[in-house]
Amino acid sequence: MTQTALEAINLIRRFGETRALDEVYFTIPKGQVVSLVGPSGCGKSTLLRTLLWLEPPDDGFVKVGDRYLGKDLSPEGLVRRQSGREIDRIRPRIGMVYQSLNLWPHLTVEQNVTRPQIRVARRRPEDARDKAQALLDRLQIAQLSDRYPGEISGGQKQRVAIARALAMDPEIMLFDEPTSALDPELVGEVLSLLREFADGGMTMMVVTHELAFARDVASRLMFMDHGRIVADGDPNTVISSRKNARVAEFFDRVQAFHPDFRNPHQRRQR
Amino acid sequence: MLDPTVITENLPLFLEGALMTLRVTAIAFVVGMTIGGIASVAILSSIAPLRWLAAAYVAVMRGTPFIVLLFLIHYGLPAMGVRLPALVNGTVALSLFAGAYYTEIIRACVKALPKGQWESARAIGMSPVAAARDIIIPQILGPMVPPVVNCTMTMIKESSVLSTITVAELTFAGLVVQGETFAPFEVFITVALIYWAITAAFAFGAALFERRLAGANRNRLMTPLVARYLLLDGGRT
Repeated sequence: MTQTALEAINLIRRFGETRALDEVYFTIPKGQVVSLVGPSGCGKSTLLRTLLWLEPPDDGFVKVGDRYLGKDLSPEGLVRRQSGREIDRIRPRIGMVYQSLNLWPHLTVEQNVTRPQIRVARRRPEDARDKAQALLDRLQIAQLSDRYPGEISGGQKQRVAIARALAMDPEIMLFDEPTSALDPELVGEVLSLLREFADGGMTMMVVTHELAFARDVASRLMFMDHGRIVADGDPNTVISSRKNARVAEFFDRVQAFHPDFRNPHQRRQR
Repeated sequence: MLDPTVITENLPLFLEGALMTLRVTAIAFVVGMTIGGIASVAILSSIAPLRWLAAAYVAVMRGTPFIVLLFLIHYGLPAMGVRLPALVNGTVALSLFAGAYYTEIIRACVKALPKGQWESARAIGMSPVAAARDIIIPQILGPMVPPVVNCTMTMIKESSVLSTITVAELTFAGLVVQGETFAPFEVFITVALIYWAITAAFAFGAALFERRLAGANRNRLMTPLVARYLLLDGGRT
C-alpha cells in the first residue's frame, strides 16, 4: 500500500451563504504531483489556507502523513480539537510556498532557511546551517546565503522560499500559483524547477494557471469550481473529458486560444 | 533688563526640577511602553473580550484631557480610600496616558506589515511568541521610532501638568522661583530652555538609534550594489 502524504476529508467552509469549500475530499499518495486548476474565486486559496489550518474549516479533517492537523479523529470516532502547540508541531509537515513568497526581509537568505529549523524543529544552529547550505546548493543559490531578500531577483527569492519550506522535511509541498508573479522568462525557470522536483519524486500540489504544466508534468489534475472538486484524475483524461460541463467549457475556452492544447503530440508529429 | 542672578542663584532648584521631570518621564516611558506592548497584543488578538478591553482603554485615555485624568487619579483615589504620594499618582497618570498612544503606534506598525509575514511564520510551525519575536518585532522597531519620539516628546512636555498636583518637577520649580523672585521672564525662559534641552537631547539619541537600525536594515533602503560598496562590515548578526 502506498503511503498517504495529504488527505482532505469532507472539508466544508462557508462564508455567509456561499460555500468556499463544499465537501472537499481527496487523498494524495506519496510521490504524486497534483495540479489544482480552476477559475478565480473557486476556492483554491481557501483550500490551501484550510489545509494548513490557518483558516479552520467549519467541518472536516486534514491528515498529513499519518497525523491529523487541527482536529483529531480517534478510531472510535471521537473528535478532539488539538492545542495550539500540537498544531504548530504538525504544520511544518506541509511545506507551503506562497504566491507572494513572504520571505522575511530582515533576515538573510540563510537565516530565512535556518530560523524555522532552529525555532520549530529545534535543530542545533550548526545542523540548521548545514541543511540550509545543502538545500541552497541544490537550488543553485548557495552564493546568495548572506544576501537579504531585498537584494535578490524574483526567481532567486522563489528558490529561497522553496528552500525554507523544504528544510522542514515536509511530507508534501504546496505551491500557490508559483508562476503568477513572475515575468515570462522566469516562468520557464520555475516550471523547469518544479519539473525537476517532480522527476525527483517530490510530493507536490501546485495551484496553477499554467495548464501546460498541469497537462505535462502533473500526474493528476484536480479541477475546482464553486468550492467543489468537480473533476479529478489523469490530466489528459480530465482535459478531454466531457463528463462535467463546467470543466469541458473551461478547456474548450483554452482550446479556442491554443488549438493544439488538447492534442499536443499531433503538432509535434506534423 | 533681564537679571541673570535670578537664574544663577536658583540654579540648584531648576536642576532638581529638571531631574524630577527626567525621572518621571523616563518611568512613564518604560511603563507606558510595557502597557503599549501588552495592550497592542490584546488589540491584535483573536480573543474578542481582550480586544474590547484594550480598545476601551485606548479610547478613554485618548479622549480625556491629561489634566482631567490626573485629577481623577490624584483626587479620585483618595476619595476611594487609596492615598498615594502626588509623585506616584502623577507618574501613574502619565504612564497610562502615554501607554494608550504607544499602543496605537505599535498596533499601526504591526498592521502596516504584510499579513503574509505573520502567516508564513505561523504556517511553518512557529508559535505566536516565536513569530512575534523573530519575525514581527524586528520589523516594526524601525518604523516605530519616529512616532514614538514624537509621542514621547509630547509626554516630556505634558509632564509639566504634574506641577498642578505639587510634584516638584521643572515647571513646579519655576513656579517656586517665580514666587520668590517675581521675575517671570527670567524664570520661564530658563524653564523653556531646559525643556528644549531635554527634548533635543532625547531626539538626538533617538536619531542615533534610528540610524543604527537603518544601518542594520541597509539592504532594504539601498540598492544592493551601493549597500555592498558601503558595507565593508563583519558585525552583522
